[in-house]
Amino acid sequence: MMKLTDEDEALIAAALNGSALAWEKLVRRHEGRIFNQGLRLMGNRSDAMDLVQEVFLGVYRNLHRFRGDSKFSSWLFRIAYNKAIDINRYNNIMASRTHRSDEKELDILESIPGRSNLEGEKILSEYQANKKVISMLADLPLNQRLIVELKIFQSFTFDEIADIHEISVNTAKTRFYSALKKLKNVSESEHVL
Amino acid sequence: MSCNKTQHLLKEYFSDDLLPVAKSKIEEHLFSCAECSAELESLLLAQSSLTQWREQRVPHWDRGLEQFRREQRAADSKLGFWSKLQWFPLAASVVMLTALMLNTQLIYDDEGFMLSFGATDVESKLQGFIDSQRQNLDSVIQRIEDKQDINNIELLEVVLKQTQQATAENLDSIYVLFEQQRLRDLEDMKVGYQQLIDSDYETIRSLQRLAQFVSYRGQVR
Repeated sequence: MMKLTDEDEALIAAALNGSALAWEKLVRRHEGRIFNQGLRLMGNRSDAMDLVQEVFLGVYRNLHRFRGDSKFSSWLFRIAYNKAIDINRYNNIMASRTHRSDEKELDILESIPGRSNLEGEKILSEYQANKKVISMLADLPLNQRLIVELKIFQSFTFDEIADIHEISVNTAKTRFYSALKKLKNVSESEHVL
Repeated sequence: MSCNKTQHLLKEYFSDDLLPVAKSKIEEHLFSCAECSAELESLLLAQSSLTQWREQRVPHWDRGLEQFRREQRAADSKLGFWSKLQWFPLAASVVMLTALMLNTQLIYDDEGFMLSFGATDVESKLQGFIDSQRQNLDSVIQRIEDKQDINNIELLEVVLKQTQQATAENLDSIYVLFEQQRLRDLEDMKVGYQQLIDSDYETIRSLQRLAQFVSYRGQVR
């Protein structure tokens, strides 16, 4: 059986040779990870979709530069991560999450073409299940949210996190611990309410 | 919070590079200290609530396919033009090499023009070779005739000496016999040399055909 990375490389080569099918397959393999990452970091589907589209536009423009020195998924994650930071800076999600994201959510669900109500409800249900996580993360400052994303959802080591953020390993550990403490407080306050 | 070790120990507890010995030491304190234990429990709860995340499906989008196809078509049409041109130098080289190999000549005259393949001077050189061979043959035959004359005279003298019949009649008849024999020898020799020349000529013609592929002359009007 072909390894995931080998399959990625084969799809990249085919896409560079002009295969639209290979490009679509490559996007389908990785878009879910980027979308969910965007949801956690930015808190709404609209911004998460903006992230997905911008990431893959960047990938398309730079696909010929991918050397295969690292895994395609790692390369993709770096692009997505940097884009997410950019989008966060511009959107100031912390201030707008309480009502703007809900409005966007309804708009997105209504605008999906060809979706049955049942399917729409399923998407909404999945989103509701994740809403608590999004709400907890949204209370974190961006630098802590990013480290939680890397540590818990992307399973990076503190060494790797320190390298990505250009900080010391000890600072990375401290930020993660502070994030957990803050999440604990948010969780406890929600239970009280 | 009265335990002053909580923050430091819990920060290390969540590290991924902790040595087993250090981890067991930390755990030893965490489980014996009520405050640290309660703090650890609430932190783990907060962490586990994050891991409840359910992967959400991506909404429908075109995955950039329209743009991919549009730009690919543009790239193909650009490449198509250059891919045609890139064969031009190779094609020109092949044509020139072929013309050189076949010694192609384009000759204009009043009746039109003539495109000929193969060198025209090859045949003239061949004819020159044949002529020189003929000259060589004639000179060889001449030398053989002279030599045979000398041999015949020597032989005649020996015969006359042995028979002691040096009459003019005998001498004439013997001389005629020798002369007839000499002429027959010469004729045979000529035939042999002619066959040899013909054989050389055919060999050269075959080589010429092989080397030039085409040994015909066409006229295009």
